[in-house]
Amino acid sequence: MLVPYNYLPYEFKNVKNIFKKWKKLTKTTDFTLGKYVAEFEEKFSKYIGAKYVVSTNNGTDALILSLKSIGIKKGDEVITVSNTFYASAGAIVACGAKPILVDCDDRYQIDINEIKKKINKKTKAIMPVHWGGASPDMFSIMKLAEKYKIHVVEDACMGIGAKINGRSPGTFGIISAFSMHPLKSLNVMGDGGMVATNNKKIFNWIKKFRNHGMIDRDRIEFWGVNMRLQPLQAIVAIEGLKKIDDVIKKRNKNAKKMDGLLSSLSPNLVIPDRPKGFRETFALYMCLVKSRDRLLKYLIKNKIEAKIHYPIPLNKQRAAKNLKLNQKNFNTTNKQAKKIITLPIHQYLSKKQISYVAHKIKKFYEKN
Amino acid sequence: MKIELIDLKQRYKEESAQILTSIKKVLSKGHLVLTEELNKFENNICKYTGSKYCLGLNSGTDALMMSLWALGIGKGDEVITSPISFVATIGAIIHVGAKPVFVDIAEDLNIDASKIELKITKRTKAIMPIHWTGKMCSMDTIAKIAKKHKLKIIEDAAQGMGSYYKKKHAGTYSDIAAFSTHPLKNLNGLGDGGFITTNNKQLYEKIKLYRNHGIKSRDNVHVFGVNSRLDVLNAEVLNFRLKKLKSVILKRRRNIAIYRKLINQKFIKIPHDTKDQFSSCVIFLCLCERRDELQKYLNSKSIQSLVYYGTPLHKHYASKNRGLHKTKLPVSENLAKKVLALPHHQNLTTNQIKLVCREVNKFYKNS
Repeated sequence: MLVPYNYLPYEFKNVKNIFKKWKKLTKTTDFTLGKYVAEFEEKFSKYIGAKYVVSTNNGTDALILSLKSIGIKKGDEVITVSNTFYASAGAIVACGAKPILVDCDDRYQIDINEIKKKINKKTKAIMPVHWGGASPDMFSIMKLAEKYKIHVVEDACMGIGAKINGRSPGTFGIISAFSMHPLKSLNVMGDGGMVATNNKKIFNWIKKFRNHGMIDRDRIEFWGVNMRLQPLQAIVAIEGLKKIDDVIKKRNKNAKKMDGLLSSLSPNLVIPDRPKGFRETFALYMCLVKSRDRLLKYLIKNKIEAKIHYPIPLNKQRAAKNLKLNQKNFNTTNKQAKKIITLPIHQYLSKKQISYVAHKIKKFYEKN
Repeated sequence: MKIELIDLKQRYKEESAQILTSIKKVLSKGHLVLTEELNKFENNICKYTGSKYCLGLNSGTDALMMSLWALGIGKGDEVITSPISFVATIGAIIHVGAKPVFVDIAEDLNIDASKIELKITKRTKAIMPIHWTGKMCSMDTIAKIAKKHKLKIIEDAAQGMGSYYKKKHAGTYSDIAAFSTHPLKNLNGLGDGGFITTNNKQLYEKIKLYRNHGIKSRDNVHVFGVNSRLDVLNAEVLNFRLKKLKSVILKRRRNIAIYRKLINQKFIKIPHDTKDQFSSCVIFLCLCERRDELQKYLNSKSIQSLVYYGTPLHKHYASKNRGLHKTKLPVSENLAKKVLALPHHQNLTTNQIKLVCREVNKFYKNS
């Protein structure tokens, strides 16, 4: 039985509504920002419960825009986590600032105790990542930030549809970034992203900066760049918003089933804590396993497309060489990198497929 | 009958079925980032332009920024350019940390190459000629100056697709060139897009890494990068449209030739191609006496026209903030008062052109 990781061949099978709107778009010839982009921004702001949303090219640009909007620049330090996608640190570097990486905890989220140790005069922001679609304890992070009077910029790229005590990721920090990359819970047919904030001043600046600093065609207030979401993709995202809750529900159902089937395998396979009040998007369904590389091979041989996020964590990448990190500070991340595996859990998987995955894993450990 | 400035609607109507069919095909493959469609596009551009390397990016602005960045231009450096352009030219220079230094333009609206050397200082690192409206700058002269002073050249070829200078395509006279595939260009997608071309393998490798998070292979990040990838859906549209580009440009050139024949050029000037230039004619800009009155008149006759642009870049508020407005650029300031874009696209009929010319001539005759 094939259990695919990539669900995109199913995702955009029915594009009737999207194509219909695309045709409308071409009649308005509004290919730069325009009506659909505005409609999407408004709908998304309602969905997550933030006052202002500005859409962008992609999640990375959303992060860069967020950091720039609070004045992050050369000489500044921004604290983020070591097990994340490269773009979190890339965005900090793109602003000229220095990423300060800290270790993660058993739920693969930023270790709040480690943050404290890294705060100094140069620290301008904490950038917690909602890694894998789960969330760190944002309430504690906010408290910490308030105490030291530094900003929180949320990397909620994987967090669309998640909840922390009923609140959406991306509504805690002064500004937050989201991604709509094809493999995110809310996705477009290419790259897309957005930022959310409740701060009007930041919003006004961002809106102009993303579109060349223009007030209108003939007036430039300051020199900006081009980080616009494509109207084509805005239309895809508007359609996506209609089914996002359904997607999250299905994924949670699948994850719950998988949790149930795998829980007996401890300590060969360890599922992270799923504390009450946290709803995950299951962008990545990760667990820690023994003999990971052999298990991965075995699963792939059995047509189960498991993945690893990531075998080499950020703190060990060549790009991080300049940061001169002490690997002793990344015990958890480094340990997890050897054991972590991501299993397919997306909304298109059937009960049968989930059972098959669990069954194969069980079989693997029976033999080994 | 209203005569429109551009023809995006009509163009899409003709191509809609084919575009949607090919997009559907892309979607069924299940990969939507950096796919074979994009590779194909990059190869196609190399073939068309004669450049060795091409990389598809988010936008023309990103193409400019990455070109500057890849050449190591940053804080404290100066980049020479001209003020008759879209804002992105300056935005890109500012956002890599460098300072734009303005040189005045010549009558053809491009940088006046004879004035470049006066602005070269110890800090000058590069010249960024802009091929405005698709007409290439005097690249021979600029290349000589660059060589003499050891400067880099970055072509702002946002409008340069299909443009030639001495039979060589835009992008082949420089270290690196930035192109745009924005909907208002000759080779246009259905949204933002851009690319760079270069013959320099090192610059190519650098940007290739940088545009995709610095990822060498899925699990190895070489440098910290960003995300600037040409949309795959647009790459597919561009592949399709590239096949027609030559004929599109020829039609556009033919239209301008008709304009030239029919407009009384006593009060309105149409900049010529020199014998070295082959313009892709992205915008049809004329230099008009009493421009604003003419525009009003044309408007009353349902003929669209547009001022491209009324304010030279050094006169914007954003320039004032940085003290850039003090530069004296009399030709730019003067011509910005005269420029007007008249209806111009590949679906414009000879009759429509005749009508526009008749009205333009009438306006000047009666006044």
